[in-house]
Amino acid sequence: MAYRYLFEQMVRRELRQKYKGSALGVLWYLINPLVLMGAYYLMFGVIFPAPSEDDYPLFLLVGLVVWVFFSQAVLSAAPSLLDQGALVRKARFPREAIPASVVTVQLVTFLALIALLTPITVAIRGTASLALLALPAILACLFAFVLGIALAVSVLHAYFRDVAPILSAALLPWFFLSPIFFDPSHLDRFSDETAALFVLEWVNPVAPFIVAVRDVIYGGALPDARVLLYIVVAAVLAVGGGLALFRRMQGELAVVV
Amino acid sequence: MSRSRPALDDGVRPGEIVLEHASRAFSVKADRGRTLKEMLIGRRRAGGPPAVQALRDVSLRIEPGETVGMVGRNGAGKSSTLRVLSGIVPLNAGRVACGGQVVAQLELGAGFGRDFSGRENIFLNGALHGLNKEQIEARLDAIIEFTELGDFIDAPVATYSSGMFLRLGFSIAAHLDADVLLIDEVLAVGDEAFQRKCEARIAEQIAGGATLVLVSHDAALIERTCERVVVLDGGKKVFDGPVQEGMPFYHRLMGTVDAVPSP
Repeated sequence: MAYRYLFEQMVRRELRQKYKGSALGVLWYLINPLVLMGAYYLMFGVIFPAPSEDDYPLFLLVGLVVWVFFSQAVLSAAPSLLDQGALVRKARFPREAIPASVVTVQLVTFLALIALLTPITVAIRGTASLALLALPAILACLFAFVLGIALAVSVLHAYFRDVAPILSAALLPWFFLSPIFFDPSHLDRFSDETAALFVLEWVNPVAPFIVAVRDVIYGGALPDARVLLYIVVAAVLAVGGGLALFRRMQGELAVVV
Repeated sequence: MSRSRPALDDGVRPGEIVLEHASRAFSVKADRGRTLKEMLIGRRRAGGPPAVQALRDVSLRIEPGETVGMVGRNGAGKSSTLRVLSGIVPLNAGRVACGGQVVAQLELGAGFGRDFSGRENIFLNGALHGLNKEQIEARLDAIIEFTELGDFIDAPVATYSSGMFLRLGFSIAAHLDADVLLIDEVLAVGDEAFQRKCEARIAEQIAGGATLVLVSHDAALIERTCERVVVLDGGKKVFDGPVQEGMPFYHRLMGTVDAVPSP
């Protein structure tokens, strides 16, 4: 890996430039998702509490961290090649390093939040189990999945400037359709609508990742085998497809950004 | 990750440069991106200026250790040629190959993080050229000494003047063990002393076997540093030969030569 050190430098550059000159600096990476989670907890945990889940705030938070990682990483990766245009236009290096460094910075935040949330959830719910050992593998799949999407989105946005706006418009309904506030199988009104349930659980590729992380941390059990298979396949497909698309399209990057 | 760097050194020796029937056009619309609508409809907006043909069927073979000046009027395709040689921009047609470690100085401060200090940018820039931390550290003192920036090396480069950008950028480029040096008109902002120092350093690298391609409008600089001159006009190669013949040809092309008194 001749460019491992470049990647390291890009991550540092990303960390530095994002919140340069702000008093809290890098801490903003943690504060933003915490505020978001606080707001959603207030909305859906206190004002409109959904009745069916125990320890609802924890149920909600675990799902939210996964979603926040996914959405923040993809949203910040989209314009990343344009943001680093000066570099792309004038230097020759593996351009994958740019979206990959953006995703990695988000990953660090995500892991910090997970490290905060996991012991609290496990302690309150008494869900300490061997299933926790599977968490690193699940998070690795999640990272690969997000990285693949980020690679695709960043190179697509460099050529077609509609991609980022479409994405930010899509993320809001996508968020509400993801099983963050609810467990699809506990929704009584869908219990005999298998098609709707299928869409909620399987068509949305983020859903199995949320379910898997929540099963382990909040539920104290290994996820269903189908869920595990799904996230492995989704991770491989996303990172393989994203990388292939990126390499295919990157030729003209210096001209279009 | 290294595999993604497109191989540009297929079948050429380090320092050798080959350009065969190279053509490249650029769209010159103000809005360079395409919108999704255009992609879905399957065509680009009509109207606007047509694409500019920056390189038209240019063939060029440069041997290791040669010093080549590239001259021509603004828009003749000089910078495009360098961008093609450095592998940043692909060709529409033809073949390009550039052997070994290619170090390009295409723009002052290209690839610098503006909030990073000069010292940190040395690491970032070295990493962009595929060096690892140890390799950069081994060169760090020599690079810093060459810049003569003193304490400014630890100041953010956002505070640098253009001359200081040159000092930092050139000093890094000069210590990367280049097989091919591509320099685009950056030396002009250096003071006289530093320019001479750069020229001496370039000469040292050439003596060590490196190849130089220099784009400049400074005729005296070309004459001092280059043995061979390529004149480009409208994206075509119109002269390729020794500098003694090339510069007069260039001056005639530009119409800047004084009328030669008849004998």
